[in-house]
Parts: sequence; structure tokens; C-alpha cells
Amino acid sequence: MTDLLGNDLNLQYELLGPEIALVITAALVLFADAFRRELKIGQSAIPAISILGLVVALLLSLLWIDENKDFARLVTIDNFTTFFRVLFIAVTVVVIIGSHEYIERRVSHLGEFYSLLLLSTVGAMLMAGARDLLTAYLAIEVMSFSLYILVSLAKSDTRSGEASLKYVLLGGVASAMLLYGLSFLYGVGGSTQYTEIAAALSDGTSTLELPLLLGLALIIAGLGFKASAVPFHMWTPDAYEGAPIPITAYLSATSKAATFALLLRWFAGPLLPAIDSWQWMISVLAVLTMVIGNLVALQQSNIKRLLAYSSIGQVGFMLMAIVTISDQTGSALLLHLSGYIITNLAVFMGVIAFYNRTGREEIVAFRGLAQTNPYLALVITAGLFSLAGMPLLAGFLTKFILFQSVVSGGYTWLVVTALLASTVSLYYYLQVIRQMYMYQPEGDASRWRLSPTGYLATGAMLVGVVWVGVYAAPFYTAADRAIAPLFT
Amino acid sequence: MDSVGVVIAFYVLSAITIVSAASIFLLRNLVHAIVLLVVVFLGMAGLFLTLSADFIAVAQILIYAGAISVLFVFAVMLTPLASRDNGNSLYAGPGLLLGGAIAAIVVVTAFDVEWNQLTGVALEQRSFTDTIEVIGNQLLGPHVLAFEVASVLLLFALLGAIVLVTDPNNEDGTTAEEEAGKDTAVGGSE
Repeated sequence: MTDLLGNDLNLQYELLGPEIALVITAALVLFADAFRRELKIGQSAIPAISILGLVVALLLSLLWIDENKDFARLVTIDNFTTFFRVLFIAVTVVVIIGSHEYIERRVSHLGEFYSLLLLSTVGAMLMAGARDLLTAYLAIEVMSFSLYILVSLAKSDTRSGEASLKYVLLGGVASAMLLYGLSFLYGVGGSTQYTEIAAALSDGTSTLELPLLLGLALIIAGLGFKASAVPFHMWTPDAYEGAPIPITAYLSATSKAATFALLLRWFAGPLLPAIDSWQWMISVLAVLTMVIGNLVALQQSNIKRLLAYSSIGQVGFMLMAIVTISDQTGSALLLHLSGYIITNLAVFMGVIAFYNRTGREEIVAFRGLAQTNPYLALVITAGLFSLAGMPLLAGFLTKFILFQSVVSGGYTWLVVTALLASTVSLYYYLQVIRQMYMYQPEGDASRWRLSPTGYLATGAMLVGVVWVGVYAAPFYTAADRAIAPLFT
Repeated sequence: MDSVGVVIAFYVLSAITIVSAASIFLLRNLVHAIVLLVVVFLGMAGLFLTLSADFIAVAQILIYAGAISVLFVFAVMLTPLASRDNGNSLYAGPGLLLGGAIAAIVVVTAFDVEWNQLTGVALEQRSFTDTIEVIGNQLLGPHVLAFEVASVLLLFALLGAIVLVTDPNNEDGTTAEEEAGKDTAVGGSE
């Protein structure tokens, strides 16, 4: 088949196997939930079906390792897409395993919850694979719409509705800005295809400097919102605090990684020829984000808000890699992103297990956790130390490689700022650890244990944090191979 | 150049559209104004048809005359204090000013553009096929992925809307509004 311009189109539906499998699973989950009584299945069948679908999608995405094909000139299936597909599927699996008890008890609408979770994973996967502006935009909307609803699903928590409303209103504004920016980009580039925009921009004959600049500013603002970069971060703490904790974990992992996948695709592809126009914008954003994110985190007393600001600070570090974009910083960013996600999930799985037991989320509530549940205290401590960048844990190595690649990209002042911000972050992470180890438990001081799936999720993440920190070679190779198709 | 039928259709449709649009200002009842607005949209759809833009005409009827006007009706019905009265407003002066300015821009542009470049020979040289056929083939052929993604998005947006208005304490499927309606009904009978 050919399109209107006479380009040959490859309509090989197997390329979209993982996405199709997940959408079908999402529909199945909805039906299974609706007909639970008729089918005589328990509540736990729903997460089981979801995980089954995710595993099928994972196997289907592994089929395309080292391929480089596109579907109808809309989606590219290369190592970069495969890397993110695997990452997103893994995050969803971990979130489901680690939090199905929480979800059964504290989330309304089980079937809708799981199917929306699967659908937002589809959106994230398409964001990483898109090679056309409109497909990318649709993918962003698929992911965001699912998340707007998911944030509101916490049972009997009024903050949840408030968080969702703030998220949806600000998200709508950001989407509008992004779309307006994309329309400018389309005007300048003359196409919605990444490759053709890149060709048009590197041509150098374009006299449309101002529209390009305006378009870039709008695009960066829109994506800055999705990635929660300062000054577009206002929704983040509220949404993180009000959302059910598994969704907070998911927001801080998949939503962020998908935005960075898109940033990498855009700024290493169609927008690379215009690097002089956007490099300064992103570096300003990076500095603001890491400084303000880490400073405001110092004052937080709620663990979810603390982790929200800490994730904002982390976004600042990741934006540095976009400033000095190259295959080296690109692969460092992918490595840091995977390390950050494993670490963050370790902390969140720990917090979810803690919340299941106590129902509290203030930092002072963690007092004496080292006595009542030393294993959980160890998991959370390892996660927080890794976020702060302690040696032998994932955070140190990935941050080191990221900072080093930014220095060799010629932006030493950015790295100096990042190091200072990183030192500040150590203080507020240590505050939580101090509560766990230096104080006596309040009230019930008896020992307690996690559920088997709780042990599975936290244990896997703990192993991941140490593994990336000690022996990161496989991850590094994967990141290297994933970034290669972007720079050929 | 154009057949007599098209010219007559143009004048009749324009007359309907302009007269309905002008009457909206003079009507006191908001619901009547909305009905006239639908007439304006239908007249516009007819004008698009005379320009051979069949897809836009159908979209105009489906989206504007259908969906948007229903939205207006809902907004009027659900706003309790906006009695159906299209009364005088504080903003009449600024509104007139703004409307007049926009109308002036349109008129100036209309006279400024050399329309004759785009009619006649240049127009006739372009071959018009059925736009609906082309758009349909494009949507279900090369752009089938975007089409399907959009339909999944809409399905789940619908689902989300239902989930959001369902009362969590009442899982049998009635919405919060229905629940509130029941409460007032009970209150009324007491």
C-alpha cells in the first residue's frame, strides 16, 4: 500500500504485537471484572490475567531485537522501542505484583483500574516508538488520559479527586501548548514525519526562525509539564500525594520514562538540526529543576510529597543529558533511567507494604521501623541511599556515568550544579533513614511480616538496586544497543 | 461558470444563515436562540456543499449541529440560576466592541484578498474527487494505527467518565446525581 505522497507503506501488524496484546488484555480484564459472578472467579484473577497479558506482550516485543522496521511510517520498531517496551512492561508487572493487596483494599473499580493501567502502558510504548508527530501526540494522550482517571481512584480519600482535577486541568493546558507547538513545527518542517522534519530543518534554507523558536518553546513547556520539570511541576506533589500509592509509583516511573523516550526521539531526531535554538532552554530548565526540586524537598513531611520533589530533582539530572545530546549521553541517560526506575520502585514498594500495615504516610510514622520490620527498613534505606547516589548501589554508578558523559559533552558547570544539588538531596533522604533507625517505635512495637507478594516485589527490586550498582555491564550494553538506532 | 441552481442555493442559504444569526441577538429565550444557532450551522453546512466540500458539510452537521448544540442545551438546562432569560448584561458594551472589531478584521481581509486569483481557471484546473472516499481510504489504510489508537482513547475516556461519576459507596451502578435525586425525592415526600 502507498500513501498520498506515493511512499510505500509497510502494514505488518506483527510489529505492533505487544500493543495489540495489551489492548486485548485490557478489554478482557474489563469483561472478567464485569462478569466475575457469572464466571465464578475471585478478585485475584484480575491481576493474574493482567500479568499474563503483560508476559505475552513482553515475549512479543523480544521478537524484534535488532530489527529496524517501521509500521506504515508511523511507528518505528528498533532497539530503542524494544528497550522501552521491555522497561514499561516490567514496571507494570512490578507495580501489579507489589500492590495488588493495596489495590484490592483501597482502590475502587478494580477492573477499570487494571485495564487503565495496561492502556497507559500501551500509550507509553507508542510514545517511545512513534516516528510521526500526530501518532506521538495521540500516544501521549492515551497515556495521560488513563493516568488522569487512575489518580482519582483512591477509595474514600478526598485528596484523590482534588489531585485528579488539578492533574487533568493542568494536563489539558500542557497538551494544548504541545499541540500548538507541534503545529508550528509542522509549518516549519512541512511534514509530521520525524525524518522529513529533520531533513527540512538541516536544509538551512528555512527563513522561519521565529515560528521555530515559538514552536520549540511551546513543545518544551508541554513536555516539561509531562516530565514535571520546574517551572511546570506544580501538579506533581498534589497528584503524587492524592493518587493511590501504586499509581504514584507508576507516575514516577513509566510516565517519566516515556516522556524522556519522547524527548530523546525528538531532540536526537527531527529537532537536532535546531540544537542552537533549544540547547539553552533545556539547560535553564535543568538547572531550575534540580535546584528547586531538591531544595523544596527539604521541607516535606509526607513521604509521597518528599518522593515527588525528589523525582523532580532527578528529572533535572536527566535533562542534562538532553542538553548535551549524543550517543554517549543518550546511552548514559537510558542507563540512569533504568537505574532510577528500579531504585524508585524499590522505595515505593517498601512504602506500599508499610502503608498496607499502618495506613500512614507521614515521615514521622516510619519511626522505629528498623525494629518492627528490619527487612522493610533495609529495602527503603537501600532505595533512598541509591537515590542519593551512594556507592555500590544503582544510583551511584548510573549517576556517575551520566555526569561523566555530560562533562565530556562540555557542560561542566551543569554537572557542578548537579553535584551540589545531589549533596543537598542526601540530607532529606537521611532524614527518613534517621526516623527508621534512630528512634523507638511508637505504639505497637511488635514485629510484623510482609505478604508473600510483598516479599517478592521488594526483594526483586532490592536485588535490582544492588545488581545495577555492582555489575551494570548487561544494562550498559543494552542501553548502548538501544540508543544506536537514533544516531545512525 | 456556475449553474443557476448553485447560485440560487448560495443566496438562499446565505439569507437563511445571516437572518438566523442576526435573530439570535434579538431573542430573549436562550433555548430559542440555540435552535436558531442550529439553523445557522445547517446553513453553513449547505454552503460547504455548494463548494463541493462534502466531508466538511457532513462533519459540520454531525459535530456542530448535533454535538455542540446539545452541549449548549445541557449547559443551559443544568445551570439553575441562568433562567432562560437572555437579558441585558454588564458586558454588552465591551462585547459589542470586540464583536465589531472581529467583524471589521473579517471585512477588511475579505476586501483585501484578491479572490479572483483563486477562482475561475485556477479552480477548474484542479480535479475534485469525492473527498469522503479519499479520507475514508486514508483513515482505514495508511493511518489505521492512529485511527485505532484514537478509538481506544475515546472508549477509555468514556469509561473514565462513568467511573468518575459513579459513587464509590454505591457500587450498583447508579450515578451520584441519581443518588442525589433520590435523596431530594425522599426529602420532598416527608
